[in-house]
Amino acid sequence: MTRESGAGSRVSEIRPAASGLNLPTSFAIVSRDESWQRGTMVESRLMHGHARQRGNSIEAVDTCDERLAHACDAAAEAVRALVDTLREAQVRMRVRATREDDAESVETTITLRMHDLSIVTTPADAHRDYALLKVLTGVQPAAKLAPLPIVWLNGSAAVLLHEAIGHAREHGAVEISWPLWLTVEAPLALRRETFRDVPLPRMTHLMARQSGAPFAPPRERIDVQLVAGGGYDPVTDIVTINVAVSSVGAFTIQRTRSEIAASLAGAVGEPLRYPGVICSREGQQLYVASDAPVMLMDALP
Amino acid sequence: MTSLYRKWGRVIRYENGTTIRVEEAGEATEVEGVFEVRPMPWGKGAQTRVSVPHHSRRQARASVLQDSLLEERVPLPQASLDLQQVESFVAQTLLSVHSCIVERLIISAGISTHETNGVTWTEESRRVHLSLVKGRLRVLVDLASFDLDALRSVAGALARVGDAREAPPRVRLAPNVAAALLPSLVGEIAIEQRGGGFDGQGLAIETRAVTADDPPNWYRPSYAIRPRRAWLNLRPLPFGTIDESVPIAVAMLAPVTGTSLHVLCIDGDAVYPAELSADRVTSVSNDEPVWYPYAAGSFGVEMML
Repeated sequence: MTRESGAGSRVSEIRPAASGLNLPTSFAIVSRDESWQRGTMVESRLMHGHARQRGNSIEAVDTCDERLAHACDAAAEAVRALVDTLREAQVRMRVRATREDDAESVETTITLRMHDLSIVTTPADAHRDYALLKVLTGVQPAAKLAPLPIVWLNGSAAVLLHEAIGHAREHGAVEISWPLWLTVEAPLALRRETFRDVPLPRMTHLMARQSGAPFAPPRERIDVQLVAGGGYDPVTDIVTINVAVSSVGAFTIQRTRSEIAASLAGAVGEPLRYPGVICSREGQQLYVASDAPVMLMDALP
Repeated sequence: MTSLYRKWGRVIRYENGTTIRVEEAGEATEVEGVFEVRPMPWGKGAQTRVSVPHHSRRQARASVLQDSLLEERVPLPQASLDLQQVESFVAQTLLSVHSCIVERLIISAGISTHETNGVTWTEESRRVHLSLVKGRLRVLVDLASFDLDALRSVAGALARVGDAREAPPRVRLAPNVAAALLPSLVGEIAIEQRGGGFDGQGLAIETRAVTADDPPNWYRPSYAIRPRRAWLNLRPLPFGTIDESVPIAVAMLAPVTGTSLHVLCIDGDAVYPAELSADRVTSVSNDEPVWYPYAAGSFGVEMML
């Protein structure tokens, strides 16, 4: 995007692709962020504040909204009881009670960590994901890394698409072609982590679906079960995915969006809930619920 | 270990087209290994109105509060920089780097008062983060001053960039590049912690040789972050002679990875990207160093590889 300077010269400045998105004039938040080890709380952070936006200016102060404080505390208290049942994992609980203009919401996420693996879940899925994490910590590589087709299990393809489609849209990247059997819903909204932050166009969630996709995974392949993280670079158009658990152990994929899109070879079944994505952009960490079917990717050269 | 830390702060920040003014105060306690953080009213240390769970720790925290020396409201001076000055610097920056695309521009000016262990001190800060793009190259600039010449110089170099080249056999690192690398050179060259000011526990920062021992000071970049021991404000000690005729790396094209650098080099009229390995530093200038906001503080001065 370009911006007119006061002196009349044109200067190029990339701005977030925010046009058409609703910009709240008022944002209030109360959040609690607690970390637990073996059932004992080791860190606790309370944060509250309010931001008021006028045009391109924001005034932010750390005032406390009592109504949001009560909602946050009630949700936090419920999660503390849950945390007590997840003692084999390091647990981080984050509750965010927010109001944007008149719309209030409470969001609770739980990050579970065992050994070097972590997943992000919600109270409703915490026990199921806790069991999954325990299983994944015991997975040993069955083979060495080789250029083989990849099957993305457990909804993990959602992370791939989060980077290659969701973040690319956030940055206003040029659209590229994806397989016709694939549809991806990743709506953007102006979101912020705290009252101190500038709202940015961010995904609210990502839901990938397949319709009539082929799916013929070869016997020799890599099965991906858990992804540690990823990234999208809008300057180079390169997507990076750090696989944490697979049949060949941990490895990293770095390819352009076009190469990723061209390699998608099929999918099967309904979307599976991936155990959570905490998405970080400009230092702002937000939860993005992510679902995708089991997907097949050709061997990457 | 029991401790109480309080901070009152104001900041004006320009971030990619939006200006945000933030005012907040918070306190952090560490009682029996439990680190707790909460906002705090601007007056004397009243507790927030939001309930704090875990009663035993709350009682312990109350005793810490009684020990606090802060009995009166802490006056926070107005930042010496006003909104107009920040916006003026933003406008000048955008004009100065017009030959490139601005991917990210964050400029802030702030003032904060800290209180812990019976010590109260006030700091002012200025920060500039600029990411400039040309083609598939991205230059990263981080400054602790509103130095327009530094930004103009980097933008000018990026505008003239040619194809990538092999690393030259000898290369100078400009102070901004050397400062980014310096935290990776601990143990490789002689480095001291430069004295002055207070650390995150209210201890005076004294000039010391950086060694493999535990650092004597604590780094607390925010009241919401648990402080950790760290060497602060690193400064490389001068040695050798800088050869002014060798190419110079003037800007970072990516964050430092270990001792590997992806940089923008100038050699005469040629400007090119190069990958460097800083395995052997052959000299460090004795010029007056400049402080940069890398790691827990890093002084930059010209170096030669």
